[in-house]
Amino acid sequence: MTRPVGAASHGAEVRPRAQGGRAPDVFSRDGTVAMREFRDSDAVDFAIVGTGCGGGVLAAKLAEAGFSVVALDAGPFWRPLADFASDEREQDKLYWLDERVSGGEDAIELGSNNSGRCIGGTTVHFQMVSLRFRPEWFKARTKLGYGFDWPVDWRTMWRYYAEVENACKISGPISYPWGPPRGRYPYRAHEVNAAGLVLARGAEALGVAWAPTPLCTVSAPHGKSPPCVYRGLCKIGCSTNAKQSVLIAFIPRALAAGAEMRDLAMVGRVETDGNGRATGVHYHRSGEWRFQRARNVVVSGYSIETPRLLLNSASPQHPDGLANSSGAVGRYLMVHSNHAVWGEFDEEIRWYKGPPSMACCEHWNYVDDHPTKDFFGGYSFMSQGPLPTDFATSMVTNSGVFGMDLRRRMANYNRMAGLKIVGETQPQAENRVTLADEADEFGIPRAHVAFSYCDNDKRLYRHSLTFMRRMLAAAGGRNIFETESTAHLMGGCRMGLSPDDSVTDADGRTWDVPNLFVCDGSLMPTASGVNPAMTIMANSARIADRIKALAAAGDL
Amino acid sequence: MAHVSNTRRTTSRFALGDVLAVAGLGLAAAVVIGARARRPSVRAKTVPAAPEAALAARRVRDGAAILGASVLLDSAMEHYRGRFHNAAMYLAPATAAISIAAALAEPRRERLETPLRIGHALALTVGFAGLGFHVYNVAKRPGGFSWNNLFYAAPLGAPGALVLSGLLGLASEAPTGLGRERHRDDEHWTERYGEEGRFLAAVAGASLLAETAEVWLLHFRGAFHNPAMYLPVSLPPAAAASLLAQAIAPRRGSRAFARLSLRATAVLGFAGTGFHIYGVQRNMGGWRNWHQNALAGPPTPAPISFTGLALAGLAALDLIDAAGKPNR
Ligand SMILES: Cc1cc2nc3c(=O)[nH]c(=O)nc-3n(C[C@H](O)[C@H](O)[C@H](O)COP(=O)(O)OP(=O)(O)OC[C@H]3O[C@@H](n4cnc5c(N)ncnc54)[C@H](O)[C@@H]3O)c2cc1C
Ligand code: SF4
Repeated sequence: MTRPVGAASHGAEVRPRAQGGRAPDVFSRDGTVAMREFRDSDAVDFAIVGTGCGGGVLAAKLAEAGFSVVALDAGPFWRPLADFASDEREQDKLYWLDERVSGGEDAIELGSNNSGRCIGGTTVHFQMVSLRFRPEWFKARTKLGYGFDWPVDWRTMWRYYAEVENACKISGPISYPWGPPRGRYPYRAHEVNAAGLVLARGAEALGVAWAPTPLCTVSAPHGKSPPCVYRGLCKIGCSTNAKQSVLIAFIPRALAAGAEMRDLAMVGRVETDGNGRATGVHYHRSGEWRFQRARNVVVSGYSIETPRLLLNSASPQHPDGLANSSGAVGRYLMVHSNHAVWGEFDEEIRWYKGPPSMACCEHWNYVDDHPTKDFFGGYSFMSQGPLPTDFATSMVTNSGVFGMDLRRRMANYNRMAGLKIVGETQPQAENRVTLADEADEFGIPRAHVAFSYCDNDKRLYRHSLTFMRRMLAAAGGRNIFETESTAHLMGGCRMGLSPDDSVTDADGRTWDVPNLFVCDGSLMPTASGVNPAMTIMANSARIADRIKALAAAGDL
Repeated sequence: MAHVSNTRRTTSRFALGDVLAVAGLGLAAAVVIGARARRPSVRAKTVPAAPEAALAARRVRDGAAILGASVLLDSAMEHYRGRFHNAAMYLAPATAAISIAAALAEPRRERLETPLRIGHALALTVGFAGLGFHVYNVAKRPGGFSWNNLFYAAPLGAPGALVLSGLLGLASEAPTGLGRERHRDDEHWTERYGEEGRFLAAVAGASLLAETAEVWLLHFRGAFHNPAMYLPVSLPPAAAASLLAQAIAPRRGSRAFARLSLRATAVLGFAGTGFHIYGVQRNMGGWRNWHQNALAGPPTPAPISFTGLALAGLAALDLIDAAGKPNR
């Protein structure tokens, strides 16, 4: 686990900071802001488990609508200005590193590359690439012949993308080359760094479009956030607050609107009564198990922890786990293949400067008929700027280089550039989360994650490697080599049109338990060829509005 | 593998403090030299002009000097940021210093006339050359004249300020009648002032519009995140429009508005400097981290150029006014 460096940050990992009517002021080094607190015995309108793209956005919008909200997160409540160090190992404290069991033919690595554990969720260390779905993907089955249809219309989603992009003050290009018009991004795109210009050069050489990546970090001051300083430590947590993570963009809103944030509160079980309705959540905080009563429960723990919690909340009425009459809880888990090509260049690039992915190419997300396109789905790819330890680790694990060879390669670190995909994988029932036999320190069964690529997934990433190799060479790259990994999680509790094969309806309301909702990345029926955060946030903003409408109609 | 041993960045030879110190000295020297030549000695034959005209010409040249000062400091900082990687980058602040001295000096018929004119012409030429360099810098990047390059590559508008400084310097010769015989008994002198005033109004008005375009681009880049950022893209164009209206048809009635809007634009130059100082403070570390934020934040020497242009515009109005007065 974590080796504490700063005394301040170590305290945050063992002692809750949000209590006594105060919560950390994320824009200060040691200040606090007022926080409304609820008693465990208060049946709050909503108990939300998790505070990332799903839970954080929902908490803010529901509290602003006047509901009483308690949001619980297993992780600490950081003040980035004081707690984040420019040190890769120190920042391991942001990841969900509790042991999970990973299996399947292509067992995925779990931790820094897919799960965060703190107030603000994974967005605290995400890489800020803020893309929208291609509209057809919301009807992937009917329009493109693979995966599933979403129970949502793309035009509705388009509106909510705009809402969350504005809340996060996304800095994006004036005109985006792909997809229908999306209005002007709230802030202007950042200056593309040298690593991004490599992608640009390659794209121009190959005759495909490229764009400065829309990024979730501000290019000009916004509120108490200074503009980005381009130091490139985004993936280990931004210590300036330029990054508009959920911790910065939504949690202060939620607190101001009267939501309570409970940090270091691990939820172990959702309780249901004899009627099969949820009554609240059991959570562990400050060394003891407690029970928060709630009229409605929302699970927003992301694609592994959400199914794990539902499966662990089985009751006589729900013997296979909560909301699992369809058997779909934990299934159709997806990742993004994250294959990459890397090359050496004559000129100095210093790719660690600036956010890691400042230029992107969605060409293969929007091409359906092409002689080389032998797969369903799509992929985007971005320029790269891995931090040194991260890059060295990936070279060791992928190509086994070590010793002098590794040293020689790392000496070239400042003259390297790379391209990495966000590659769509197909939803497969057997890629799933189940409960392992072992239990964690709280006595909760650990998650078992099984993942295997299907043939289509493999054709897709092979296609990308061929294409990106050509592009990197066209941009002047030499000694090109490849690595593979995965990123992001999608699905695991998908929403759908029928209780037979999905966990929730379009509102995130579980088919089986009317006052139990899911609201996070696990709802996603398909993975898409773009990074998921904006889609998850937009979907959560939409669900918040749906919940308000249901409440207004007396249907909660 | 030829590069393996050479992964260190060659750091700039000087620090920002050095550059600012040199720029400051250059500014001071230019002001001292220019000011000495400002008060003509009793024996020197100064240019014959009516007091209003002499005053107006002085104002135009003060405006040019302010523009020069803005260019001197701004280009010193921005070119330092570009690590003076091309020797030509030293030319901008150096020429701006010359332009300041030339603008502050008072033209005298027998001696100073030509050197001053050369000074202004130099600013004009170097400004245009700079424009060329900056256009090339934008065009050669991937994406060409894309928004991203217009925002972040060498700014097209910046060398324009040097052009304007030289242009105003040259234009300031008109009311003093330099290079032309003018006698106080010339019965058409008031008409001449009217023409020259209108010419100056056109120059100052067009310059204000050009400057506004540059400000719009950069404030758009900053997403107009502070509503005050709309001021310098609305007030100066209003002033420019009223100036251009005077250039086309000098009507006394609308001159009051022109004067008001120009005075406001002059004040805006100072207010803008204040806003930019605040803007730097909003960057990570604020002014405590001045050696990075003075470069990363909004350019503090830039807004004052509006004051310079507004002075030239006010001078134009003075001339037009003078033309309307009864002959002495
Ligand atoms: C390194 C990295 C880079 C990324 N880069 C990008 C990117 O550039 N663009 C993009 O769009 N996406 C990116 N992502 C993905 C994106 O961050 C996630 O998809 C998104 O944050 C998921 O949102 P969520 O709300 O579903 O879950 P999360 O944000 O993970 O939030 C879940 C929260 O629930 C808490 N929790 C879970 N279980 C419990 C429990 N039982 N009790 C209490 N709390 C619990 C967790 O502590 C966590 O804080 C990146 C992810 C990673 C890891
Ligand atoms: S590069 Fe920008 S977003 Fe990334 S950590 Fe630094 S300031 Fe934050």
